[in-house]
Amino acid sequence: MPSKIIIIAIVVLLIASFATLFVIEAKNHDYDYKKAWSVVYFENPRDESLDFAIENHEGESANYAYQIFSNDAKLIEGNIDIKAGATQKISPVLDGEKIKGTRVMIDVRYKDADYRIYKDLK
Amino acid sequence: MFIDILKLILAIPFLLVFPGAFFQLALFGWKGSKMTFFEKAVLAVPLSLIWVDLVILLLAKLGILIRGQVLVGSVLVFCLVCFAIFRYRFPSERQKTEEKDEQKLFDFSVWQTVFILLALALAVFIRVAYLSDTIIPSATDLGHHMYWSQTIVNTGHLPNYGVPDFIIGEHMIFAAVNLTSGVGLMTAMPVLLLLFFNIVGIFAMAILAGRVFKSNKIAAVAFFVAGTLYAINPPQGRYVSGGVVGNIIGDMLIPVALYFLFRALVEKNQIFAGLFLFSFVGLLYTHHLSAFIFIFSAAAILILFLILNFKNILGILENWLRTFAKPFPIAVLLLSAVYFLLIFTPSYFNPAAVGQATGEPTKITRIGYSLSQIDLGIGSAQLVLGGLGFLLAFLAFETKKLRYSLALGWFSVIFLMTWKPELLYVNIPSDRVSNYLFLPLTLLSAYALVRYFEIFSATASRFFSTVTLFVLLFFVITNGLSDSAGAFKTKNQFQEIMEVYHSGRYLASTLDTSKDTLLKDHVNIAADSWYKLFFMKDYKYPLSRGVLSRYIDPTKPRETCTRDMITEPESDAGRACFSRTGVNYIAVNAQMEGSIFEKYPDFSKVYMSDYISVFKRN
Repeated sequence: MPSKIIIIAIVVLLIASFATLFVIEAKNHDYDYKKAWSVVYFENPRDESLDFAIENHEGESANYAYQIFSNDAKLIEGNIDIKAGATQKISPVLDGEKIKGTRVMIDVRYKDADYRIYKDLK
Repeated sequence: MFIDILKLILAIPFLLVFPGAFFQLALFGWKGSKMTFFEKAVLAVPLSLIWVDLVILLLAKLGILIRGQVLVGSVLVFCLVCFAIFRYRFPSERQKTEEKDEQKLFDFSVWQTVFILLALALAVFIRVAYLSDTIIPSATDLGHHMYWSQTIVNTGHLPNYGVPDFIIGEHMIFAAVNLTSGVGLMTAMPVLLLLFFNIVGIFAMAILAGRVFKSNKIAAVAFFVAGTLYAINPPQGRYVSGGVVGNIIGDMLIPVALYFLFRALVEKNQIFAGLFLFSFVGLLYTHHLSAFIFIFSAAAILILFLILNFKNILGILENWLRTFAKPFPIAVLLLSAVYFLLIFTPSYFNPAAVGQATGEPTKITRIGYSLSQIDLGIGSAQLVLGGLGFLLAFLAFETKKLRYSLALGWFSVIFLMTWKPELLYVNIPSDRVSNYLFLPLTLLSAYALVRYFEIFSATASRFFSTVTLFVLLFFVITNGLSDSAGAFKTKNQFQEIMEVYHSGRYLASTLDTSKDTLLKDHVNIAADSWYKLFFMKDYKYPLSRGVLSRYIDPTKPRETCTRDMITEPESDAGRACFSRTGVNYIAVNAQMEGSIFEKYPDFSKVYMSDYISVFKRN
């Protein structure tokens, strides 16, 4: 009988442990749960499109300031509020001739963090 | 989420308990005299694992797509066949009862039961606490293994590795659990399965110790030693978290194979002889290093026993031969031959691979560990306790009893393979070999603790012996647990891992992998090996900058492009590498190489998070 108790106990212990670890993994396997980060990226990295997205995983609503430069010349400046966990897509309207052959940089700031992405256009 | 847990909790016994349980039913009957309930319960898991692997190999050979329903059906058919054999072989089963002496061996007393339960609770608790910090899939090895498991899931076929580094038994069970339960591979599932095998491995060591020394006390203490003293350090909790699949399964199958071998030889029983061969086949299909270690271990044990009984050597050999030259072991041998020759030959089964593992050590990492390195790797407390066990077993040595040859021969050969591998013509990394020392040390340590108490409790100086025992135990427990405590992570890496996952999903959804080639940095990005699961294009996609020391190999030239394209992309060598490999995207750590890459005019930066930057070559 004691050996059966041991087997039953380890089965119960393992089920409880598995459930605990599974829940911990599932909760943390989330871009937002107990995390604070942001990401900026071009919607399409393969072409010359300048559409970009900002994702807010800071754990709270955040106000992002962004600037768009062509080489060193500032073209656009703006602010945007993004809810926690949300993604904001932005399609900047730029003069194609003006930015041709330049490096177009998108600089997004949130608090002290600075996220810069850029493309060298032909 | 809760449905997934439920599905996983149902799938694990279905695949990893039922087949083995029904197989034992067919072999031993419901209340067979040879095995106690305790042993059957423990052995159901490794036997199930081997059967599930063999069933999948057969399905693949027959050209049947490996799908969830097929697996469920196959396992049910297998269980039904076993049940039919049981009914045929044991028609009047109900009248039988377990023989009393067999029952007694694992019939623990109340205090022993309490001790085992406490040891197991502590063993599980330490592992769960450790794993809770690392539970999101991120380990490099696990990422590589899960790529192959995902390949089985996606294609329904077994993968063609093309390299001898991977073995099919390391991947099938994860695919099988995924296919039957629907729980993904990028969840806690793979680590939980490894934890399960690790815990069953503790039980396997306990039943081996119990059988070898015919003592339930030693079996009880083995739970404490294997479960608690060796809780985290390799090859236990850290290997579970690190996804060192072959080792974890190997550490479960080695004691099982030895258990059957021991019982086959001692009891001259053909069923155990067949089961020994069967477990060895499982080992061969799962992990070449474990199989290699097992071959050396079994050979050392048997040779030592034969040398010590040289006068009766012919009689002993004849007995062994008679045990194995019976229908069941021969049937298992034939089945194994059919599997290896006609159904699936493991990728490492070739003379070149065998040649690589044997002979004079060729690398600095293979020339053996010094005694201080062994002490550091195993832990002082564990080594002292094992050494004491070795001494006590040596003093109590009875040449005619296989148990002493097993305990001493097993430890001696693995110790020699670790310390002086050239003596045994072993040419494999010494750190990997040293990880197996914990198996015989567990046996010897459990023996030491029980024998010590028995010896001194019989003497007049009981007080002195008790104090000494408690001092020893205090040293062992604090030292053993502090080894484990040192392994706990101080930094929560979950955010970084999720950022890696995010960048992987981004790249997989935006790149055209037929035209774009991605290079990612393994050196400064955690969980990077999981990138390939987002693409599922090829095992070598994306390319990876590996650990820098790997690019320097005095024995042969190594490719250096994956390094040069990150460390010096603007150099002539770097540029030549870009044109040769076609790499046009690079994922690096945003804070390290990311800020350096911003200075290179040839690159656009298309993605940036706190942890990951992705650059595109213009």
